Amino acid sequence: MPVEFAEKTVPPGRGIFKRFKGNIEAIAIGVKYFFDPKRSTLIYPKEYIKLRENYRGFIVLNAKKCINCGSCARICPAAAMKLIRRPYTDPKTGKTRMKLWPVINYNRCIFCGYCVDVCPTEALHHVNYHDVVFDNMEEMDQTLESFQQAPEHPTAKEGIPVRYIIDEEKGLVKVRVEGGEQ
Amino acid sequence: MSGIVRGNVGFNDLKIPGMWSRKIGKDLYEVFIGPQHPGSGHMRIIIRIDGDIIVEAEPDMGYVHRTMEKLSEGRAWIKAIPLFERMAIHDACNVTLPYVRAVEKLLGIEAPLRAKYLRVLLCEINRIAAFLYGFGIFGVFLGHSTMYMWPFGDREVWVELAEWLTGARLTHTYPVFGGVRRDVPEGFTDSLRKAIRYMRRRLEDYRKIFVDNPVIRARLEDVGVIPRNLAIELGITGPNLRASGVRYDVRKNHPYEVYDELDFEIPVFQEGDAYARVHQRVQEILQSLRILEQVADWLDKHPREPVMHERFWKTAPPLYKKIFQETGRVKLGAVMAIMKIPQGKAYERGETARGEISYYVESDGGNKPYRIRIHSASARNALVYKYIVPGHRVMDLPAIYGSIDYFPPEADR
Repeated sequence: MPVEFAEKTVPPGRGIFKRFKGNIEAIAIGVKYFFDPKRSTLIYPKEYIKLRENYRGFIVLNAKKCINCGSCARICPAAAMKLIRRPYTDPKTGKTRMKLWPVINYNRCIFCGYCVDVCPTEALHHVNYHDVVFDNMEEMDQTLESFQQAPEHPTAKEGIPVRYIIDEEKGLVKVRVEGGEQ
Repeated sequence: MSGIVRGNVGFNDLKIPGMWSRKIGKDLYEVFIGPQHPGSGHMRIIIRIDGDIIVEAEPDMGYVHRTMEKLSEGRAWIKAIPLFERMAIHDACNVTLPYVRAVEKLLGIEAPLRAKYLRVLLCEINRIAAFLYGFGIFGVFLGHSTMYMWPFGDREVWVELAEWLTGARLTHTYPVFGGVRRDVPEGFTDSLRKAIRYMRRRLEDYRKIFVDNPVIRARLEDVGVIPRNLAIELGITGPNLRASGVRYDVRKNHPYEVYDELDFEIPVFQEGDAYARVHQRVQEILQSLRILEQVADWLDKHPREPVMHERFWKTAPPLYKKIFQETGRVKLGAVMAIMKIPQGKAYERGETARGEISYYVESDGGNKPYRIRIHSASARNALVYKYIVPGHRVMDLPAIYGSIDYFPPEADR
């Protein structure tokens, strides 16, 4: 397809009639939205957005699936994922030996989701929320135990889950969705 | 800003919040605007004013310089993608795509057709969001707070779509070597069409309250004129260049991905003033909507097929293929983290919302880049302040700054 450029010019608007029309139009549109406002404010934390299932939120480890390959730590661009040495008892043979397990440090994590995508056995997954409270910075550096359970989601306990859907007339429309722990 | 020189001010005791000024000659004051956020980011403009007239202006860049080129040399190839996104987070796909394409060139691979369409999809969503962001900043600069609220609210529509597609609001990290990371979810194209129709309607509202508003016209017409020859001489790029009458757009002159298969036109204005740049951006949004419609039609017609290059997808285990068919999520191979790129040099360019961005990528055959050079759009546009601001009143500086749509983090890298 050949390169197409379209020569355009700015519409004229210098005349007194044009200016008058412009002012009236601007005021009219202002008045229109004064009486019919297009509000989509989220009353947080009374309401909270229930994000979609594919949202890249906090990361949880399923240690049963983990094969200790270390791919997640290798691909992490922020060096948030690191491997720690912990004893592991094989349920079949009963033997105990040391293995490397991934743990994440949320001080460093940028939520790019590389670790989840690179995990060969789907041992890591995202939860679909990001408003998690940590009391201090040490807590953000996860231990192997805390990394295996989904972090507490305080807003889900008291808030109403909503979602924004795209509407032709109004843009974003807030609708209530199922879920929430209230 | 107009109150700077009002009244009888003493030597060195001019107190303006966020600014610092001093007397440097008879009737000549030096005012430091910024670097703490004069607008869309951190950059200082040093202006020298005689009365209310700016006689000299110096853009003082580098306040948010983060040595991205150097940082990228110390990490694996794929880890540079989330890093480069931080240049312009609301334009993330456009900014990182040329880098991905340059590395693909070194690898000798090309993304599958569906991945190309998906890249164009996110690029155009990002482009519209970035233009709306620029409009919001421009509106608040001109004291038009409605034009600040409306585009920021409508930008949320496009951010929502991008989040649905990629899983993150702004730092999508969507294109990777050989393809993209997610396929379109169920029902995405219907929402996209609704958003397109909504945006067309809203642009009419914008026209009434902002673009054709006589107050805005009075402030923007014949302000900050960039003549055609100056635009070429300074090497400015993007909508600013096209508003000065130069027919150049990377999407048309050097087509990448599937832009040569899509039917759209590049608007060009001759005036070159701040008002023409506003119109330029409105027209570019309309063309982006036109591209998005065609991409949505294409995606509807074609069923889900791998969006990763054969080289990486051929060896993928059955679990990977199952997850892709069920959720559309592309699992990355473990090789991505330790991949070695063949020795060579590559140069790629792309059109971001603010203009042309180019990457020079050099590999010594290792698993880390040897050298990456980025030439971003804002770095090229920033120079223009030095040449077009003098002669204007201080009141015109925000109008010019906003109309250039300058974004410091992208320029400083």
